Amino acid sequence: MSELDQLSPGRLAWLRFRRHRLAMIAGGVLVFLYLLALLCEFISPYTPEQRNARAINAPPMEIRFFDADGRFHLRPFVYGLDLTIDPDTWMREYRDDTGTRFELRFFAEGEPYRMWGIFPADRHLFGVEQAGGEYFHWFGTDSLGRDMFTRVLHGARVSLSIGIVGVGLTLFLGVLLGGFAGYLGGIADAAVQRMTEVLQSIPTLPLWMALSAALPAAWSPITTYFGVTIILSLFGWTTLARQVRGRFLAMREEDFVVAARLVGANDTRIVFRHMLPSFASHIITTATLAVPAMILGETALSFLGIGLRAPVVSWGVLLQQAQNYQVIVLTPWLLLPGAFIVVTVIAFNLLGDGLRDAADPFSNPGKS
Amino acid sequence: MFRHGLPRRSGAGLWIVLALAAGSSLSANAAEPDWPAAWLEPARTASQLGIDSFSQSPVLEGQGLPPVEQRLPDDPVVIASLDSMGAYGGTARIIADDRSMFISPEGLFTISPDHKTILPNLAESWTYSDGGRRLTVRLRRGLKWSDGRPLTADDVLFTVNDLQLNSGFMPVTLPDFIGLELHAADPWTLVFTFPEPNPFFINYVAQSPEYFLMPKHYFREFHPDYASAGAIDARMEEMGFSSWSAFMITSMQKRLFPDLVNQPTLNAFQAEGLTPGLYTYRRNPYYFKIDPEGRQLPYIDAIEAQDVRENEVAVAKASTGQLDFAGVRLPTQDIPLLKLGERGSGIKVNIWNRLHGSDLSIQANMNIADERKRALFNDVRFRRALSMAIDRDEMNEIIYFGRGTPRQVTVIPDSDYFEPEFATAYAEYDVDAANALLDEIGLLDIDGDGLREFPDGESMTLTVEYVDTETPKQVSMELVASYWNAVGIDARQRLIDRELQYSRAIAGELEMTVWHADRTTDILFPINPDFWAPRKLAASLAMWSEWSRWYLTGGSLGEEPPPEIRQLQLWADELATTMDPERRVQLGKRILAANAENVWTIGTVGLAPHPVVTSNRLRNVVESGLWGWDIRWTMPYHPATWYLDQ
Repeated sequence: MSELDQLSPGRLAWLRFRRHRLAMIAGGVLVFLYLLALLCEFISPYTPEQRNARAINAPPMEIRFFDADGRFHLRPFVYGLDLTIDPDTWMREYRDDTGTRFELRFFAEGEPYRMWGIFPADRHLFGVEQAGGEYFHWFGTDSLGRDMFTRVLHGARVSLSIGIVGVGLTLFLGVLLGGFAGYLGGIADAAVQRMTEVLQSIPTLPLWMALSAALPAAWSPITTYFGVTIILSLFGWTTLARQVRGRFLAMREEDFVVAARLVGANDTRIVFRHMLPSFASHIITTATLAVPAMILGETALSFLGIGLRAPVVSWGVLLQQAQNYQVIVLTPWLLLPGAFIVVTVIAFNLLGDGLRDAADPFSNPGKS
Repeated sequence: MFRHGLPRRSGAGLWIVLALAAGSSLSANAAEPDWPAAWLEPARTASQLGIDSFSQSPVLEGQGLPPVEQRLPDDPVVIASLDSMGAYGGTARIIADDRSMFISPEGLFTISPDHKTILPNLAESWTYSDGGRRLTVRLRRGLKWSDGRPLTADDVLFTVNDLQLNSGFMPVTLPDFIGLELHAADPWTLVFTFPEPNPFFINYVAQSPEYFLMPKHYFREFHPDYASAGAIDARMEEMGFSSWSAFMITSMQKRLFPDLVNQPTLNAFQAEGLTPGLYTYRRNPYYFKIDPEGRQLPYIDAIEAQDVRENEVAVAKASTGQLDFAGVRLPTQDIPLLKLGERGSGIKVNIWNRLHGSDLSIQANMNIADERKRALFNDVRFRRALSMAIDRDEMNEIIYFGRGTPRQVTVIPDSDYFEPEFATAYAEYDVDAANALLDEIGLLDIDGDGLREFPDGESMTLTVEYVDTETPKQVSMELVASYWNAVGIDARQRLIDRELQYSRAIAGELEMTVWHADRTTDILFPINPDFWAPRKLAASLAMWSEWSRWYLTGGSLGEEPPPEIRQLQLWADELATTMDPERRVQLGKRILAANAENVWTIGTVGLAPHPVVTSNRLRNVVESGLWGWDIRWTMPYHPATWYLDQ
């Protein structure tokens, strides 16, 4: 017996996954992003609505170790900003004020917040002495003087979780309806198939738009958030359902299913114990590939102004606020959320690729 | 100062202009020394200035037109230029939305750059008599439509009697036409009679010229009193209109449609070609104004107007020098970007000021169905608290580069009705006072979430629904919502479209909304003090629709207003009809003082900077002016004298 035969399927999958370098990196990036999102209140130096009237549309501030005279400082610092509104150009011009050094420190005291909306706290992972009038905007500020780094992190929480929650719903609907159709066949199958076709034939964007417009204005931002998630997943399940159904149809007559049935296993056990695990790889792949679709869906809706809306901060909302010509020319740092979306979507796709290989450890690695 | 040294003749005596309009003399308000003094007075004519030879644009040569002397009126109107007299020629590039700024509508009267005084235009003079119940208007002789047909009293009679007062055309007569009677004493003399004294009717005629001037010889073919129903129906079918009235309303509002090309106009330019995306205009060869050298205006030969529906695109085009004039779609926040274009794109960014008393008129619906909200919105302490919670200075810094004026919704400082405290009442940023008032009302944070609840513990949210148009409403409301949040008021916003705003505002269904407040000049405030007294139903007036409905229907519909609101209506009625200038100012100030004290609508920042971009080759555009509907944007600044320096 070779060593391979003694490994559990999980161990096999992990070995296989580790050989996929890009997927490993992507996984690391995603873990990092999700950690940022999970701890965003603590990691970000501000609260998302906190305004700094002295830094409207301020560019990203450079973190320094060497001051203007070339002296080294062990504690990193930023220079304060010297704001002038040019009387001719009306441009807000920021110059580094080398006379004011704001030192960065860990666990800096700042605006009080509630961690996960529960635990009151006022320490931020890093920052400057806000009480002393110091400020630090790593990613610059937006047109209302709000810290972009903070907003990107808070946006990450919403945008990244909408993907996960949405995909959860999608998976549930897809497997349930697809399995139902494939295993039972007949009228049930026909009904689900027609429903799928109808849903797939409707262009998604106008449909999303119509449904979003139907969300009541008085809904709180959180309720709207769930509304948008449900809207996205209500139309996301169809592809998965098709695949699940196809697999079920093919597998229904396979020997091991027939055997299970003959032994007297009930339908639920056959479906969940015998059939589903045999194409877990499919489901996992579809799920990971669906996450970026969800994230992009939220972004698209919010970008069009019909998804989430201020004061909720999501990457889509941030980009929506950056959608004008002036941003590209004068304040390009407001487009940073776009970079985060790109990185996330690519990471999810690479991870999905790696997972697909891993879930099917005996396939030819070169082929997939 | 007047820069061109035109021979000054004491011809003013010829003008029987009763300066009733503003209740003050012309010279006292000539605050802008940059403008030719002639702009502030009734325009002189060729005979008064001794001009006896006339010339025309070379582009008109060889078109088979009658000579220019015959096309001009008997005694052409002379308009001085701002800087220099222009050269003929060129095609100006604009976007379609700026047409009504570039081609100012010509009416019987026009508006002086003092933004108060009405001046003669197509009419050479007017007289009020019978205690203000009769208005006699004398037209200039020899005026012609752009097809060469004469303009006479008949055209005005047709427009007023056969259209405005014809229930087949206007099922609901416009308020300013109710009770009006018009007849012609002779082909050049119009006599308006009113049931009540109507001293501000000339303001209305000057500000809405379209409502009085339709070419009868052209439109009679489409009017059932003059043409057979069968013939009209056939024409309408051909042009794609459901009825003759739909066609005429479209024409009156100068909306774009192919047949406009053939319609005679009195404006400096007439429509020439209308292809999707591009509208072209050429000069009107029968235009009635000349420059001090006897050359027929306008200087510019043609206009190309691109159909641009996005502010972004307009800003991009304007800042890169692709437009000769742009204004309407340029947001204040984009001024730095536009100014960037000054360095390399050959443009100039002129900073005008919007005449809006406040860029935002925040309105809480005092007639709303929800009883608790209604009680709240009718509580002056609540409105004052909302107002005092707003940091207007910070808004001014963040949105307006510090160049706007933090103020409540009230008239402009140049107005005769203005008092400084109208602008500053409850406009001071005072969080403590706001909190104290909200506590006093009984709105307390019961569950400790930082937001106030109703006394019974139910959460209280305000829903603000509005259209993000004309002024920077969304960014402003985002700030306002955060200020309110700081005093424990949870306000949620939603953008809606214009149709929805209109229908829900009229029906009194909007809980809170935001509009901008114009009608702040002495041109419109005395006749339409809409933001300060409930007398009208409009998309812009969502705070007291039922009180307005009660007023408009004589008490048969809507709700009877409380005494202090009823008082506003009575004052506004008297303001519009009194012939006593002192009484008028007294009434106007009473209305505004009551509004200042009661904060029926909440203002933020007004008189805001507005960018007007001109290409370096476009000359004679004023560097700073008032921007807004009251004065039809450019009407006082004579766009016909603009020219292209080739």
